[in-house]
Amino acid sequence: MNTIAIVLVIGLVLFTVGLSIFSRRFTRTTADFYLAGRKVGSFSNASAISGDYLSAASFLGVAAAVYASGLDGVWYAAGFAGGFMVVVLFIASALRRFGEYTVADFAYGRFGTSRIRLVTVVAVLLVSLFYMAPQMYGAGTTWKILVGTGFFPAGADGLFLGVDPIYLSGVTVVALIMMFYVAMGGMKGTTLNQIFQFWLLWFAMFMVVVFAFGNGFNYPAELAKASDGTLVATKTITIADLTKVDPKSGKAPIDSAKGVMAPESFAKIEEAVAAGDPAAKVDILLPQKNKLHETRTMIFGEPGHRYNTFDQFSMVLALVLGTAGLPHILNRYYTNPSGAAARRSTFWVLIFIGTFYILSPIAGLAGRSRILEAWLNGTAPTNAAYVDGFLVKSDALMPALAQILGGQWLMGIVAAGAFAAMFSTVGGLLIAAASAVGHDVYEKYIDPNASEAKRVFVGKTSVIFFALLGWVLGWAIPFFGLQNAYPALIAMMVTWAFAVGASAFVPMLLTGIWWKGTTEKGAISGMLVGLIGSIGIIFMNIFQQLKFPAFAADQGVIGFVSSLTFPVLFTFPLALLTIYVVSKLDGNVPVNIDEIWMRIHGTAHERHERDLGLDKVGSMFGGPSK
Amino acid sequence: MSEKAAVSGKFVQFGDHIDTLETVDTVFRAQRKLSFTYGAVFFGVTLAIPALSVWVPAWYSTPIWGGFTANYFVVSLAYFVFLWVMAWTYSKQADKLDEELMHIAEAIESKAKAGGAQ
Repeated sequence: MNTIAIVLVIGLVLFTVGLSIFSRRFTRTTADFYLAGRKVGSFSNASAISGDYLSAASFLGVAAAVYASGLDGVWYAAGFAGGFMVVVLFIASALRRFGEYTVADFAYGRFGTSRIRLVTVVAVLLVSLFYMAPQMYGAGTTWKILVGTGFFPAGADGLFLGVDPIYLSGVTVVALIMMFYVAMGGMKGTTLNQIFQFWLLWFAMFMVVVFAFGNGFNYPAELAKASDGTLVATKTITIADLTKVDPKSGKAPIDSAKGVMAPESFAKIEEAVAAGDPAAKVDILLPQKNKLHETRTMIFGEPGHRYNTFDQFSMVLALVLGTAGLPHILNRYYTNPSGAAARRSTFWVLIFIGTFYILSPIAGLAGRSRILEAWLNGTAPTNAAYVDGFLVKSDALMPALAQILGGQWLMGIVAAGAFAAMFSTVGGLLIAAASAVGHDVYEKYIDPNASEAKRVFVGKTSVIFFALLGWVLGWAIPFFGLQNAYPALIAMMVTWAFAVGASAFVPMLLTGIWWKGTTEKGAISGMLVGLIGSIGIIFMNIFQQLKFPAFAADQGVIGFVSSLTFPVLFTFPLALLTIYVVSKLDGNVPVNIDEIWMRIHGTAHERHERDLGLDKVGSMFGGPSK
Repeated sequence: MSEKAAVSGKFVQFGDHIDTLETVDTVFRAQRKLSFTYGAVFFGVTLAIPALSVWVPAWYSTPIWGGFTANYFVVSLAYFVFLWVMAWTYSKQADKLDEELMHIAEAIESKAKAGGAQ
């Protein structure tokens, strides 16, 4: 157990809770609870959006992906940042001008039926849950690396409720903290916390890179060294699979491992094979293949470790389009005081997250040499597993590298940064999910005359409910063995959330804002096609990875569709096309479309606000909004 | 929103300011041109990167600075600078456009008022 790390994480938790209690006195109205009273300035809002956005996947996952895959991992950083261009170009100011609370409000305001509002609510909840799942999984795994102890009793099989009790302790702690602080502070408390949490995680990444450079890191030289020779990566594999001969190449994985593993570690693998248990698992090192240019040797600095030709495009589109489909990010645009401020916020977001994403791949590359050196010197952290100096689980890269470069203190800062990343993202997701239920359903349909206090109470109850649901997701992932099916699970699951958001919302938002002829039937059909299509393909892919026979690769069309890791390249254009075709066939645009159009693209409201000085940012603590 | 908005199928009014279908249409067209031009450049550049990674060996295999190939350099560093420059120039242009369109809208407004007063 790392005492400094634990003290820093506890400090972070206390500060978070304290800030929520402090901001509580300012959360009086639902606009305060869901939107921080629409009084968040560009810099603060940009910091909060960045906190919302940079999750465990970014903090731990991007550097880990670069460490494991080289250039294909760097694409995560570029794609995550690129997504904000779509937001600023096509969505930000129109959404703010429309001036509502949530994406579902936009859908209702634009298309005018309760039906589309409810479909949007369902989509918001599904995307939020898809995004919440990897955060909770990240919470459990980080807790395990960092704290290494839990409070649930282990059964005879070493498990509690079918999962690792230490992991589940981490999930439980994070769910409880989130439940408490989001329900307590609402959007204002969450916003304040996100601003602080973002800068903490940015600082943590910055410090790791500063220490790397202080340790003699030279970017071009280090990259040349990492790219010298075939890329190798670790793999956890059963003895049965290890010895299974591939009919195409005539070789088994054990033959490939022999070529790259040190003789003494390979001898241990041979011992395990000789023991004769086909279900036993071993960690091996394997030379990697180039999926993009199959005849080329796979090296660190070249594309092709993760993505073939199709996926190179599909993955970029998933990330770039997906950002504009994340409800917790879109809701943030309503907290800007004007359309121009929404654009300015986005520019700052790009600066903040851009610098972060320039730093992450440096950490990933530095890990490649520093961890190997430390392992050879016998100074590598003992709480992580290695094969010949390569981490078995690349998600452990950041804490391990921090410990090597800066000892217990840097490791502590990184641990606090990792939890800050999870808190800030889960906080935003809980607010988004709670506003979908509390604002879009309860206030509109169940009790429209509810008092302000009752509305806030429903919002808080929804937060608690979704935090519990987050806990269930955190438990379910290892229970169903998803982490064994996908090696870089956190980054993978985040990409799924992006894919669902990109397919369900972005076509509706783009056409709703930019094409007057979009009809309600068109928008609903497009959303359903995008939502069901993307979720369907993701689950088919999961079933294939979990080796359900009906979804195996040789099962014709089903097998092919199941093999799509990123469905966006199909589902986004399909949803867009559906909206176009159905709208054309339907032709039934809302009767008040001119009025709606004036609301989305008109400037009278902003001119009026400018006259009154309302476009200036006030204090977030100036009491209830006007 | 507590501001009183007068709304009809033809105009929206906030205080002294009116949006008419005509002014909004002008705003919409100008904004659409700006956004979609920038959008075309953004998607052009973003999708050119994987296209070059797939089809142009010099792009992904020739070192240009230590271990950096053009591909690695762009994805890990230059792409971010591209995003910053784009977001900055777009925001400035969109602000300028807002400003110009407000003047146009105000001019149309005052013309309509003058017409109404006669």
